[in-house]
Amino acid sequence: MARDWQPDFEQLVDNHQSMVFSLALRMTGDRGLAEEIAQDVFLELDRHLGKIESAAHACFWLRRVAISRSADALRRRRVRGIGLWVELEEHHGLQLEPRTSPLGGRLEGLLAMLPEPQRAALILRYQEDLTPEEIAASLDAPVATVKSNLQRGLKLLRAKAATHLKEFVREKEYARGV
Amino acid sequence: MDEFERELRQAFARQPAPPGLKNRIMQRRRTASSRRSFPFFAWNGLAASFVSVSLCILAALAIYGGYEQRQAEQRRKAEDVRQQVLIALRITNRALNHMNHQLAAHGRARQESGDN
Amino acid sequence: MKNRIIAFIFAAVALAMPALAQTAQLPAPSPIEKELAARASNVSEVTLDKNTLAFASRFMNGKDKDKDTTKQLIDGLEGIYVRDYEFDKEGQFTTEQIEQLRTYYARGEWSSIVRERDRKTGESTDVMVKVANGKTVGMFILDVEPKEVSIVLILGPIRMEDLNKLKNISGLDALSGVEIKTKDKEKKDGEQ
Repeated sequence: MARDWQPDFEQLVDNHQSMVFSLALRMTGDRGLAEEIAQDVFLELDRHLGKIESAAHACFWLRRVAISRSADALRRRRVRGIGLWVELEEHHGLQLEPRTSPLGGRLEGLLAMLPEPQRAALILRYQEDLTPEEIAASLDAPVATVKSNLQRGLKLLRAKAATHLKEFVREKEYARGV
Repeated sequence: MDEFERELRQAFARQPAPPGLKNRIMQRRRTASSRRSFPFFAWNGLAASFVSVSLCILAALAIYGGYEQRQAEQRRKAEDVRQQVLIALRITNRALNHMNHQLAAHGRARQESGDN
Repeated sequence: MKNRIIAFIFAAVALAMPALAQTAQLPAPSPIEKELAARASNVSEVTLDKNTLAFASRFMNGKDKDKDTTKQLIDGLEGIYVRDYEFDKEGQFTTEQIEQLRTYYARGEWSSIVRERDRKTGESTDVMVKVANGKTVGMFILDVEPKEVSIVLILGPIRMEDLNKLKNISGLDALSGVEIKTKDKEKKDGEQ
């Protein structure tokens, strides 16, 4: 079937490299690994370019594969009996670049403590601004499961953040001169 | 959406891709590509003339600029090989990291069971 | 779609032709690899012989840190042969096939220095070295995960410690490199 939209690989890289990298970074908490995943995702896109039907399809496909490959990478690196967040703290220090939100770096560390399905759902919700239905399509999961993961993930994040954010709020207030 | 969720959204603004990521992707793509399309010559008089002229130009280039072309080609080939080396090293690194994790897990399991 | 570059396996050839132990040559692929490739969703195969590596090394000058590190790693090597098979789902290969792969390599002059097994997940890692005249002249790694099998064969003077340089190369620095300690090595040797 002929299609009107012609994929331009380089343009797709330009348009979506930040998205793919950020998804991988938030899932794994590791910049180097996230870049490796991003490269792999785009090379896989190149192999499947003939099956991409539109710009929106490309975006959907990239999100889906980025999350899937990130989950695979996490599984490969998982150490029996130790959660990923411990490994991250011990070996990678979550050294993220400074950003506009003073809570950004800490929140990502807290995110790393969540189970992968909840983490993936929250990332797609708050980074990509997807609805639960769109998240379900991206993760190939039932909508009810996604909603449950969002709810539980957010609840867990709030609870963990509450104990960690007091000092951050104090820092913020100090910076404001409060 | 409450304050926490708003801060969450702000905190999870997309990170810019690392500098040079696109170049590395494009390089790997070039290395991975194994398809070449070759010009198809339509053997009519005009095409034959075009080919003849092209060959003459190429011959001139070969005589006067061949060395630089070969050098550039060699550099490109060397870069392709380097990319293959990186692919091999990447796979090696993954395998070794997995090994490290297994060894670490094994060590911890032994400690817990009092074998050490 | 499968990406195909070329990879070969060494040990059977080395056994059959002892003279070749001094000059590494491309090994013949194990029949198991074809079976794995047929079921894999993504195949990566790399083969780089001595001449190709030497050629590429000439162009890796010291101006680029990554190229310099790569050059240090490959200088003097006789060959790099790597295969990686990724599968869409688990259960695409059997333990018997992996054992056949391992047996294919674990003959003759190859000595095992790491042998890790996880019976619950089926994951395993084997690392073997080939020593001649007191020097390491080859390294073999067989890494098995539920959805991925990796075969790495490096011929030439390579040491595990050299592979720590991997983490200095951009794009590879996420991974922790080699951390084998003598104590573990002795344990593994004792378990042989």
